[in-house]
Amino acid sequence: MGTSWVQLSETLTGRAKEKRIPLMGQFELTSRCNLQCKMCYVNNSASDIQAISRERSAKEWIQLAEDAGRAGMLYLLLTGGEVFLRQDFREIYGEISLMGFNTHIYTNGTLITPEIASWLGQRPPSQIEISLYGMSPDTYGKVSGFTWGYERALRGIDLLRSQGINLKLRMTLVQGNIHDSERFAEFAQERGLEFGYVKYISPRREGCNTYPEAERLSPELLAEFEMNLDKHFGFEEPKQFEHFALGKALDASPFDEWNVESCDPFYCTAGKCSFWSTWDGKLTPCSLLDSPAAFPFENGFLKAWSALQALCSSIPVCGKCSECPLLQECWTCPARLKNETGFFDKPAPYLCELAQRIHGNLKAAQKL
Amino acid sequence: MKIKEGFMLREIADSWVVVPVGKRVVEFNGLISLSESGALLWQKLENGAAEEDLLKSMLHEYEIEEDAALADIRDFIRTLDEKGLFE
Repeated sequence: MGTSWVQLSETLTGRAKEKRIPLMGQFELTSRCNLQCKMCYVNNSASDIQAISRERSAKEWIQLAEDAGRAGMLYLLLTGGEVFLRQDFREIYGEISLMGFNTHIYTNGTLITPEIASWLGQRPPSQIEISLYGMSPDTYGKVSGFTWGYERALRGIDLLRSQGINLKLRMTLVQGNIHDSERFAEFAQERGLEFGYVKYISPRREGCNTYPEAERLSPELLAEFEMNLDKHFGFEEPKQFEHFALGKALDASPFDEWNVESCDPFYCTAGKCSFWSTWDGKLTPCSLLDSPAAFPFENGFLKAWSALQALCSSIPVCGKCSECPLLQECWTCPARLKNETGFFDKPAPYLCELAQRIHGNLKAAQKL
Repeated sequence: MKIKEGFMLREIADSWVVVPVGKRVVEFNGLISLSESGALLWQKLENGAAEEDLLKSMLHEYEIEEDAALADIRDFIRTLDEKGLFE
């Protein structure tokens, strides 16, 4: 029993990748949200009747969890949209919390009431990650569309903390809130909470009223932020930061184990030991993609998982990217290329410029 | 000796992992990794077992000297006890 958390996770992930066991599942329970962040990749309005009618039922999500669990799922993320908009969230989570998963929940925290916090405190997930979109009503409103969200998010954080639930805060960096990064770090530290940030904003995954490209940081600004994290988060001493990546598609030095010769388009765990299940019932490699897709609710989880692996292996590798001298500094991946350009194998100008900027900054700092 | 309610032993990717469920996450938020023999002992302790029951199981399942098995069992029990996993 002497294995550390990190060692155990690494061992399990390595074996699961090799054996194609769906160790990590991500359930997108809804596309609807009570906020309207312009940079969101999936965001229908809270009362969208059409979206509601296409959501999968609580019974279906519970069944999917059971089936995925039997196939080896250990880590489970429940996310949206905003999961607490679902009237049947308690039914779903209540069942799933007893199935033996290490469960995380993503939420904006604004719908957390004393009653919900108390209920969660009786059956806490391993962690709840709360997105904060600004550190004042004004900034929060500019980014999410609703100034009232700020106070409600803070109330949600404190209610969950009062239940002893393990919380982590994250900030999605966009033009409208980058000036709040230092205040965000202070706030997290004041409350003794871990924090991280989402640094890459993808073009939207599916049709909704957002335009993330207009909100995200320019390659120049993002590269500068990355280079000076301590300054932007207000630390006098260098600190290690956890970078949240949507769909966990990006890790530090992701290409170290990536073998271009293997023709494996994904350097991450997508389609090998992790999957994403969209709100309307598709099984996809990660959060950014709505294709390739398999259909677990129609064909059963195991068949869909098997089909997804086959579909992933047919995704073309971007030849230009794999031969690029800046690959080690680049944030490229098939999902990002697809959303940026419409193709899996076409270099994306935003990512190319970002890699050039990062490379230039590193070189200037004589770190290469 | 009996392990508290609210833990689930799972075999995943050729590993034995114990996961806290429901309210148990409040006091134990993480995973426990067990060896194969640890998993055998855990299964016995889930239903309640005395040291001699555990020893009998170990000797039945593995080719191991009795003294060595007993030492392993006591070590395992001490670790569980230190983590507050017994009722």
